Amino acid sequence: MLDIRNLKVSYGLTQVLRDVSFSVPEGKIVALLGGNGSGKTTMLNTLTGLVKPGGGSILFQGQECAGIDASDFVKRGVVQVPQGREVWASMSVDDNLELGAATRHDRAGIKTDLAEIYELFPKLKVHRRRNAGSLSGGEQQMVAIGRALMARPKCLLMDEPSAGLAPSIVADMVDTILALNKRGLTILLVEQNIGVAAAVAEYAHILQSGEIAFSAPAPGLVDNPAVLSSYLGR
Amino acid sequence: MALFGRRNVLLVLLAVALVLPAVANSYQLYIGNLVLIYTLLAIGMNLLLGFAGQLAFANAAMFGIGAYGTGLLQVHFGLPFAIAFPAGALIAAAVGLAISFPALRLSGLYLALSTLAFAQFTQWIFLHWEGVTFGAGGFKTPQISFDPLPVSKPVGLYYLSLLVAVALYIFARNLVASRVGRAFVAVRDGEVAAQSLGVDLLRTKALAFGISGFYAGVAGGLYSQALNYVSPEGYDLFQIVLHKAMIVVGGMGSVAGSLLGAGIIIIVLELLRAVKGAQEIVFGGILLVFVLFLRGGLISVIQRYVKGWDEPLHAAPPRRDEPPPLAVPATPVAERAAP
Repeated sequence: MLDIRNLKVSYGLTQVLRDVSFSVPEGKIVALLGGNGSGKTTMLNTLTGLVKPGGGSILFQGQECAGIDASDFVKRGVVQVPQGREVWASMSVDDNLELGAATRHDRAGIKTDLAEIYELFPKLKVHRRRNAGSLSGGEQQMVAIGRALMARPKCLLMDEPSAGLAPSIVADMVDTILALNKRGLTILLVEQNIGVAAAVAEYAHILQSGEIAFSAPAPGLVDNPAVLSSYLGR
Repeated sequence: MALFGRRNVLLVLLAVALVLPAVANSYQLYIGNLVLIYTLLAIGMNLLLGFAGQLAFANAAMFGIGAYGTGLLQVHFGLPFAIAFPAGALIAAAVGLAISFPALRLSGLYLALSTLAFAQFTQWIFLHWEGVTFGAGGFKTPQISFDPLPVSKPVGLYYLSLLVAVALYIFARNLVASRVGRAFVAVRDGEVAAQSLGVDLLRTKALAFGISGFYAGVAGGLYSQALNYVSPEGYDLFQIVLHKAMIVVGGMGSVAGSLLGAGIIIIVLELLRAVKGAQEIVFGGILLVFVLFLRGGLISVIQRYVKGWDEPLHAAPPRRDEPPPLAVPATPVAERAAP
């Protein structure tokens, strides 16, 4: 569904991504792992139009997307759940979710989707009038995910959804990711937490200094000491 | 709706404003007019700074452009006020739109400094383009009359200000409750998230600057007639301080707060006019108290204690005991429980 070929990105003279190629097959969860500064977030920002690539191609459902605007990525169905949640803190949960549909104009569809998201996250419905900034970290992550779902994505890109959450909440997050996938959503998961990636993803790529250093089926990764030590520095 | 709910309070205020010309002397009527004009300025500033989060200092310049535009179109081209006034406001809105383009690339202090430079540049034009602006001495605006309406000029002007203020107040209320208003707040609260969900940053910021400029321009046109006189010092840096103080006192990110802030600041300053030096001291004191202890402005107090005052999209004051969301220490991968 999402094919990345020889993608290159640089900030000024610093090359952040060099010749990265991988793909995310339709209906699957693929994980992109890597330590700090390996280029994970840059990768997601490039795949959603926030950063323009210096070369290579991004094919989504066979269509070239490299270089198009962020809003066009959203319209085509590639939506990001940003790192650190980034909910709009002083807006109510309702408003956060509704603005997630910023690129849509079908009022009736937006209303149905809103109801569906509250069904998926019943906790949010209780707090729908509260400011998103006053919610707990886990609830804010739900807002961030729900907000992205309001754009009706076909492919969801999640940037470290487990970061800064308590272990029990991380387990809920894993369930949520699996549930979304079961509903037919293709997911590219960027993580530092190998445990989360191994629990949900089928396949994992390890990004190191802007290159894919290692690719393997995700479930075996936790038991692979060579991977842990050489690529993630553990 | 509760007895002291927002709608009831605003309706009472409107009723008071409507009967004011019948009971007030000409000085009090002038102050009432000033409150209405500054309400427009405060709403314009609040839309840009309180809602869209753009720390811009160009509002005083737009105020001046509205005043000069309205006045000079009458003086140089002999246009009637009825045409010069909306034209002046539209010029201010157009300039606001124009400065939003560089603003898209700037934020925070850089935006503040560049818009401040723009405000000073406008001052320079008002002062030195003497052939057109009449320089430091300023110029008298032509007399207008409200014939065939049976009202004197001050009363007519007051009602014109009231009409415009009510209309633009309602427009601002609807705007901030709309998708555009939500986009303003989203740009302020998280620009990257807004962009990544397809909110058009350029359009959103341009709208905020343009609309804010329009409000200031309208206020400028009304102000030029209220004073019957336009000169550069009416639109200098002190105006920026004044507009900012109004929304700090009233409440950032609140349309009703803009009205409240404008009313309080204008009336307090006028009450203290007789005592030399007191204006500056009290003005500074009020600002200090609000910045230090009442970050949400008066509207946050009202919202907390008055039932039925349901103010949507109100900017929550940042709580100092709360760490920013990203400051959570990252646990090493190995220590995190694999679910």
